[in-house]
Parts: sequence; structure tokens; C-alpha cells
Amino acid sequence: MTTTLSPPRVVPEATTRVRQSLAERVAPYAYIAPFFVLFAIFGLVPLLFTFYVALFDWNPIGEHVFIGFDNFTRLFGDARFWNAAWNTISIWLLSTVPQLLVALVLAHLLNHARLRLAVFFRMSMLVPYITSVAATTIVFAQLFDRDYGLLNWLLGFVGVGPIDFLQSVWGSHTMIAVMVTWRWFGYTTLLYLASLQAVPRTIYEAAAVDGAGAWKQFRHISVPSLRPVIVFTIVTSTIGGLQIFTEPLLVSNAAPLTCGPVRQCQTLTLFLYEQGFGQFQFGYGAAIGVALFVLIIAVATLNYVLSTRIRPERG
Amino acid sequence: MKLRTATPIVLAAALVLTTAACGGGGPAQPSGDGKSFEFWSFSGINQKRTVEDYKKINPSVEVKLTEVGSSTETAQSLTTALAGGKVPDLVLIQGDNLPQFVQQPQNFQDLRQYGADKIKGDYLDWVISQSTAKSGEIIGIPTDVGGMAVAYRTDLFKEAGLPTDRDEVSKLWPTWDAFIETGKKYTAATGKAFVDNAGTSVFYQAVNQGPQKYHDPSGNVVYATSPQVKTAFELAIKSIQAGITAKQSSFEENWIAGMSKGDYAVVSAPSWLLGQIRDYAPDTKGKWDIATIPGGAGNWGGSYLAIPKGAANPKAAWEYISTMQSPQNQLAHFLDVGSLPTTPSVYQDPKLLAEKDPFFSDAPIGKIYTDSLLGLKPFLIGPDSAAIGQEFLNAITNVEQGKGDPATAWDTALANIKTAIGK
Repeated sequence: MTTTLSPPRVVPEATTRVRQSLAERVAPYAYIAPFFVLFAIFGLVPLLFTFYVALFDWNPIGEHVFIGFDNFTRLFGDARFWNAAWNTISIWLLSTVPQLLVALVLAHLLNHARLRLAVFFRMSMLVPYITSVAATTIVFAQLFDRDYGLLNWLLGFVGVGPIDFLQSVWGSHTMIAVMVTWRWFGYTTLLYLASLQAVPRTIYEAAAVDGAGAWKQFRHISVPSLRPVIVFTIVTSTIGGLQIFTEPLLVSNAAPLTCGPVRQCQTLTLFLYEQGFGQFQFGYGAAIGVALFVLIIAVATLNYVLSTRIRPERG
Repeated sequence: MKLRTATPIVLAAALVLTTAACGGGGPAQPSGDGKSFEFWSFSGINQKRTVEDYKKINPSVEVKLTEVGSSTETAQSLTTALAGGKVPDLVLIQGDNLPQFVQQPQNFQDLRQYGADKIKGDYLDWVISQSTAKSGEIIGIPTDVGGMAVAYRTDLFKEAGLPTDRDEVSKLWPTWDAFIETGKKYTAATGKAFVDNAGTSVFYQAVNQGPQKYHDPSGNVVYATSPQVKTAFELAIKSIQAGITAKQSSFEENWIAGMSKGDYAVVSAPSWLLGQIRDYAPDTKGKWDIATIPGGAGNWGGSYLAIPKGAANPKAAWEYISTMQSPQNQLAHFLDVGSLPTTPSVYQDPKLLAEKDPFFSDAPIGKIYTDSLLGLKPFLIGPDSAAIGQEFLNAITNVEQGKGDPATAWDTALANIKTAIGK
């Protein structure tokens, strides 16, 4: 294929144009095809198959009995499912809200014109993000440990003590939320920072000349210009938050699949894993997967609707 | 983002998909070259040692041993492999995980084809019957049984003013109630916890001492009405209320740390736990001793060797089983590592009866553990047994951690079991 700007004169111009525009029309689809082919094989087919399995009492090494929607009926009457749903939402709120607020403030500070070693500080934000989740979890589990934890050791000095974080609902949720926040705040900060860098520095300078302090600059320049990316991070953290898995799995090594004796920090994905791969009720596990899928679609739609309603008012 | 959204579901589904693609029986089985086989074991049971011993007898055979993880993880990996992956030639299955596999015998080689029915008389009746399917297939050969005893710290007992001699200590607790009373004395004298936890050290032991656990002899679940279960549960709650437990969940890091630090003076020790104590707390050598379990006979644990249906080298795997699980080699393994044989013909062997363990103050472990099995009334283990046991344990742990109400714990446990297993 040549990309000559002047086609050979012997060929009628019209024919060449038709041929080129056909190629032009096909080309984009060819370029994006690999993703959709891969998605169909590794995403769509398994997804549809999950819906199918959810209709069975499916023993992985035995019989597959068709039971219709019984798995779903059972699921909605299962207190463990609602407990897991509540835990997931609670951990998500406890981790997302502080994470986004911290990231907002940090991004504003890192964007400051007179910050020395700016690149060093900006890059160091990524360190928690690139650390392995397992490593992070082990370190935090030790910090929060009842008997030998640093946190309880420090609390001992002020006469508080020892708190068994893992055994209580709020304690375990907080502990996991701290880990999630720790891992993601740097990533979010850099997203905000990238967006802030697009804001012309002259606006800040003009505001400073007009007598606006750091807080006013933050409120009236940084936050409004970040609105689209804030919406984006809320959506992504919602999706990520509904799928929290590794942290609750690893904090409780005595009863990992339930995250504690009374499932105090068992999330939806962990419940799915427990039923599917712990108890080998593949059909029931698949039903949980379907419920989770529907939930994520619902929340994502809600987010979309909200984010199109709340448009940044510039001016 | 889209792809990440669906990742866990996709992953689960993909695994399920492979199940569908490869489920069902394979073609006629090859017998392999007889020169090598792949062996999945779980950690903490020291199968490396047995494999090394086998290589001395059969140097030409190559054994690829993989320690998959805990016994539960090994059973999970086996299930996934049976459902659609590459299966090992030989696998070690822990007793509690066995029933779900025995219920689906089509996934395993029927060991009768290699002559298992001719040697089954070598093994304890009630042990081999657990690996025999309803239709008669023998899918596993038992490698060891638990047997029960109590390991205690002589140095800590001395500090508390309790006797340290193992016979006198055994006399302190003929019953579980007496065990709890002894605990109270220890805790009053030292201010420290007596036993590691109520769930595994009291409930799991007491519930395994009787003719009927979670199922009646015809296989119906009776966990809610079985007096044996209720009594064991109440004993566990009682020990928590007596304030003698260290609240350390078994096999967790702090439980391991507490073993050398003396956070608890007593731990219920089925024979396979002795190796773990030696490994986890090497610097406490000589400070431990072994006394009898309150309430007499019982069994916790034990494992089986099985050959999956799709094994590439079943012959070599069977060679290994029949050689290493012969009564003489089980005895040799016991003398080496301490796992109790499943072959009663060696129970009177002078070598077994004379075996003393220096780590445990020269306790005659052979005699103590075989005695704990002799009066045993076998009970049925069903496919739901592990799940039922786990829910009872969770309810007890919750009370122990100060969150659950002792008065309602039993009802909570029953309700949770009903949700979990649906009956």
C-alpha cells in the first residue's frame, strides 16, 4: 500500500477514491477488532456461561442439575448475602471518601508553583500503588494486630487498650478501608494533578493578585476545574470498591474465606469465592456473580445519570 | 476499566467454562512408564521424608512432589484439577475433605483393580471404610490416623504448682470438667491463659469422642439433636467462661508465636500436631510432655492417598502406595516422624510401644496414641461435616473473642449451619 499523494494518471480518479474510502471505512474496525475479539472470548462468553451455570445445582466433579431460578431465590433470602453486600458498601464508603479528599488536597499542594523537588514528591505518590497488595496487607495486618501490633502498643501508652480490630465490625472495616485508601490515594492524586496542570497558571496568579489565599484558590479554582475527573474517580472507585477481595482475604488468616468468625468483613466477591471455590457450589457462586454484575451495572448507571446532571458551571 | 470490572466474574466463569469443556470421563487410561509420577501433598505433614525413604528402596523412580498448601487448599486444588485441569498421579487427602470425593468415585481409580481389596484387612476397619464408596470402590489408602492426647508445658506447670509427671497430670483430668477445673487453678496461680483456644482444643476434641457426631449411621444429619455435639459445645463455652483460654486460633501466626512464648500451657495434640510443635517452637525442646486426653478415646484427622482417574502414571503411584503404606513401612514412618499407623497389626509391636520422643520429655507416644484409638467408637463423616464443624467453630470463636452471647451461641450456630448446608 502506497500513500502517494498524487495517484497515477492512468487510473480514473473516481475509482481510486472509492477503493480508498472503502479501506478507510474498514480500517478503524480492523484496528479495534483485537480488543473486541479478545473481549468476546475472555469476557462475554464466560459472562454468558456464568448466567447459564447460575441456573444449575452444579457440582464441579459430579452432577449438574437444572434448578431454574432457585439459586436466586435462595440468594435473596440468604442473610450472608445481605451481610456481604452491607460490608462491601460500608468498606467502600470508608475507603473512598477519605481517599478522594486526601488526594484532592495533596494534588493541590503538589501543584504549587514554588514546591521544591516537585518531581520527587509527585513520583513518590505512586509507591503505595506499585507495592504488591499482599505485601501491603501483611504489613497492615501486623500494625493492627491485637497482641503484637504497633498500633495497640502505642495505644497502650495512653492507657487505651488493646483493641481487637479484626474481631469487630467497625474495626475490621476501618482496617481494610485504611489499606485500600493507602493503596489508591497516590494514584488518584496523580490523576487530579495531571488535570490541575492543564489549568493555566495565570489564573492562580491573577487570583493571588486579587488577594485570594490558598484556601480560596483551592475552593474556587482547583475543585471546579477538577469536576470531570472527580466524577471519573468516583465511578472507578465505585467499581473497584464493589470488588474488594484481596485485603479481606488476607487480613484474617484463621478464617480467610469468611473474613472472621461471624463474616464481619466478608465482601461480596469473597462470598462468591467462598461459595464457589470453598464449598464448591458453583451454581450458587455463579448466582452471586450475576447479582454482583447487576449491582455494578446499576451503580454505574446511577453514576452516569448523576454525572450528566451535575455539569460543572463555569464562569 | 470495563475489563477490570468484569475480571473476577470472568475469572470464575472461565474456570467454570473449563469445567464444562473437559468434564466427564476420559478415554482408556494409560499406565505410564512406571518410572516417574507426580504427587500432591499438603504442607506440615512431612511427605518429603516418606518420598526420600521411597527413593532409597526404588532409586530408579522419580517422584515429583508438590506441597500445594494447607489440607483444605490441597483439596480445593484437587477439585479444580478434577473438574478440568491436569491431575496429579497421586494425591494426599485429609480425612475431613475425603467424603465429598468418596461421593463421586468416578473421579478416582478404583484401587481394587490393583489389589486394594486384598490388603484392606491390614487397615483399621472404620478408617478404610471411610474411603470406600457406596458401590464398593476403594478410592484411598489411609496413611495415618489422628489419635488424641494433650501436650503440656512442664516448666509452666511447675511454676503454677501443678504436678509435672505425665501420669499424675493425666489423673488431673479424667473428664473435660476436671480439665477446666485444672485450667482455673493454673490461671489463678499464674494469671496466664491455660489452653490455646476453646474451639479446636476443647470442642473439636470432645465432639470426636463418641459414636455419633453430625450424622446418624444411615447418613442423615443429626447435628442439632446429637447429645455428643451439644455436650462438646457446652464444654467449649464453659471453658471460655472460666477465662482459661488464650483466644489464639489454631495455626494462625500468633498461635505459633504463643507456642514458644508460653502464652498457653496446654494444647490438644493429635499425633500429627507433634511434628508441628517441633517445627514451630524448636527452642522449647524438652519443656513439653504428653498426657492423655480427657474423656478417653477419640480421633482427629488422618489422611488418605488416592489416584485420580486421569492420572498418567497410575501404576507407579500404586507401587508407591502399596510399598510405603505397608504395616512395616507405616511403623518405620511413625518411628521417624510420629504419624500414627493405620495398621493395627503394629500396635503391639515392641518398637512402637517403646518409642519415646525426646522433644516431649521422652513421652511414650506410641503407647499413648494407640491407647487413645483402642476404645474408639467410629462415627460417620459426611460431605457436610467440614462445613458443619467450621460453623460450630465460628460460633465458639465469636463468644471467645467477646462478641457473641454465650446464651444464644448454640442457636446461632444451628441457624448458620442450616443456611450453609441447607438442611
